Amino acid sequence: MFRFLDSVAVTRVVGAMTLAAVMALAGCSDKTASVETTPSTAQPAKNSVNNVEHALFGIGEAATPAQIAGWDIDVRPDGLGLPEGEGSVEDGEMLYEDKCASCHGTFGEGEGRWPKLAGGVGTLSQERPDKTVGSYWPYASTLWDYIRRAMPFPAPQSLPVDEVYAITAYVLNLNDLVDDDFVLSRDNFSAIEMPNKDGFFVDDRPDVKNPRCLSDCIDPATIKIVETIAGITPTAHIKEGGTDARAYSEEGDGHESGEDSVGKNIHDSACKVCHGSGVAGAPVTGNSDDWQERIKQDKTLIYQHAIEGFQGDSGVMPAKGGQAQLDDVAVKAAVDYMLETSR
Amino acid sequence: MSDSDNKSMSQGSAGEARNKAMPDLKTLAIEAQSMKAGDRRGFLKGLLAMTGAAATGQVAAAASQANLPPQIPSWTKSLGRGVVSKPYGTPSVYEKDVIRRTVPWLTAESISSISMSPLHELKGLITPNGLVFERYHAGVPEIDPEQHRLIIHGLVERPLIFTMEELQRFPSVSEIKFIECPANGGMEWKGPQMEGLQFTHGMLSCCEWTGVRLSTLLAEVGVKPEGKWVLAEGADGAAMARSIPIEKALDDTLVVYAQNGEALRPEQGYPVRLLNPGWEGNTSVKWLRRLEIGDQPWHMREETSKYTDLMADGRARKFTFVQECNSVITSPCPEKPWQNAGWYEVEGLAWSGRGTIKAVDISFDGGVNWVNAPLKGMVTSKSLSRFGYRFKWQGGPLLLQSRAVDETGYVQPTLRQLREQRGVNSIYHKNAIHTWRVEADGSVRNVQIP
Repeated sequence: MFRFLDSVAVTRVVGAMTLAAVMALAGCSDKTASVETTPSTAQPAKNSVNNVEHALFGIGEAATPAQIAGWDIDVRPDGLGLPEGEGSVEDGEMLYEDKCASCHGTFGEGEGRWPKLAGGVGTLSQERPDKTVGSYWPYASTLWDYIRRAMPFPAPQSLPVDEVYAITAYVLNLNDLVDDDFVLSRDNFSAIEMPNKDGFFVDDRPDVKNPRCLSDCIDPATIKIVETIAGITPTAHIKEGGTDARAYSEEGDGHESGEDSVGKNIHDSACKVCHGSGVAGAPVTGNSDDWQERIKQDKTLIYQHAIEGFQGDSGVMPAKGGQAQLDDVAVKAAVDYMLETSR
Repeated sequence: MSDSDNKSMSQGSAGEARNKAMPDLKTLAIEAQSMKAGDRRGFLKGLLAMTGAAATGQVAAAASQANLPPQIPSWTKSLGRGVVSKPYGTPSVYEKDVIRRTVPWLTAESISSISMSPLHELKGLITPNGLVFERYHAGVPEIDPEQHRLIIHGLVERPLIFTMEELQRFPSVSEIKFIECPANGGMEWKGPQMEGLQFTHGMLSCCEWTGVRLSTLLAEVGVKPEGKWVLAEGADGAAMARSIPIEKALDDTLVVYAQNGEALRPEQGYPVRLLNPGWEGNTSVKWLRRLEIGDQPWHMREETSKYTDLMADGRARKFTFVQECNSVITSPCPEKPWQNAGWYEVEGLAWSGRGTIKAVDISFDGGVNWVNAPLKGMVTSKSLSRFGYRFKWQGGPLLLQSRAVDETGYVQPTLRQLREQRGVNSIYHKNAIHTWRVEADGSVRNVQIP
């Protein structure tokens, strides 16, 4: 059907109208649409991209400003893309404690293997460099952009603009880049200068030249051999007594498609981020020691804690794990799964 | 694994079986099926010895001798499954070890992590779709293609929005290209620590990708003369985004919706992803929802905080897009040891983000002397290429290496050369000559010659 509309201009004019409407406008139906073998025979508009001529196919609809605005979330170092708004270090501290500290640590030190956000200045040329926002990141815009697009990890693109400003301000403050009473806004954003902004250079590889020597290339007497550290690779599939049989201990044998329960699916996408590793005191799914006292409680109470949030002795359970979009039934299914697998 | 390992392991299993009061033969047979071939033989031998000649037909059928000439195998004397008993086919149950694997301690969580392809088990050049390595920053989104859109906007004459149906109306191309994570091998800058090929080189796969050239789509929207960079952004929970120079976008970048003849797998960006041939895998943004044309790069998190290469002096390279020429021997390797002295084919893979592989040399003595290893089968730009060298092993120790040369004349460097230039903290782009140490018993270990 309807391969190449012979009047490209028509599609552009009608923009967001449906294909059917366009076809009606062009006076043709599915069955009678004229079929061109190539777009050029229809003499479409020509377009020049870096001096290469391309024919237009007239496929796709005009993207409306509203459609673009909803998805156009990027922010550049020059501030292009920053929306109107502001947030204080003070507000940021509260938000950070609530939404970020469980993974990134109270002072940005990073829990477990979660990213460290602060410190590390002066370590980049040392044996163990600490690449944090303060020690490594060249632009503050990247911080603002990433918090908006991907944080908090379990609930991306959930933060209002002012909260993004506030958390950005607080992370800058954790790195001693702004004062405690600082309020970050679009207007003062460009004044933020990151310590390592001149620490990058554009790829200049190839940087080594190895001659293609074929014989007597090195003195055999100089060959030293460094052996592999044993025991840190998952080798259960190749070695008796191999460590970490993750590939095997997981459900099925890797070929089974496996019908996962709703509860497991919700758990894996929403809860596992904390309950998989036990970050922030979360009881680890499958660890009966962590769960035995909790399981004794009334299930209704456990549901309630999961749905409404809970301050426990070992840590905070945010309401629905911070995933407000989940309905209660889904949260309960995940709780059931966690209880079943943790007995 | 050596023969003696096999033996001790199977004896252990049989011993355990003996301890069970009255082992259910069917259960044991099923257990036996899940073992590796060598273990299974020993296990069943032990079992037969234990139960005497009273073994059921099922166990006997699985035993080592019963299906071998002159016996007629059980599968020849019975009927198999009918058509569409598996509407979407899966590998043989005996291939259950051919799977992606991860190294759990690498990352905090599997939602933002990486897995590796089992290169030691793969043949030819194409990675089967279920074995292509995975890299997620926020897990795999399950996207309904009817509700997915690609918007192209920014410095263009006509911002456009495409449905999947519309994208598939454009003229399509199919190209075989490798995709590699720039962190492939990155755990070994400071020293060897991975005990298998899957973990040293498995962040690498190669597929036939089908889609539309990005240049076709850019012509459609009409890039303004000041448009120099393209921001590619995913629809996943990380909204993964990278800046791509317009020269690459107009050269060979693809917007692909299929791999190896079928729709992209969710893990690979279903329903549509970018594919930058020869460039670090991270730039081939999956679950592609938006392309914005701009006059400068965006300096996203994945091109500043990550995917930048820290040098010894504390400065860092950025926009290190190209995956430089690399190679590795895949047979033998730690997972595929040799057994007895005799003829073998030393096989391996070579690839270059700058184009076509021109030659591969291999060394048996740790890089003192080299011989040319012929390329086998199809050799094409920015794809994996396979080499093979027939070799009669005398049963002595070897230091096996491969060294690839690409069409630009670039010769794969030594580890020492890379370290001298970059230090050991760059994480990314370690394409050094790799060394396997073959022992007299045929076992293979990952070592480095610094």
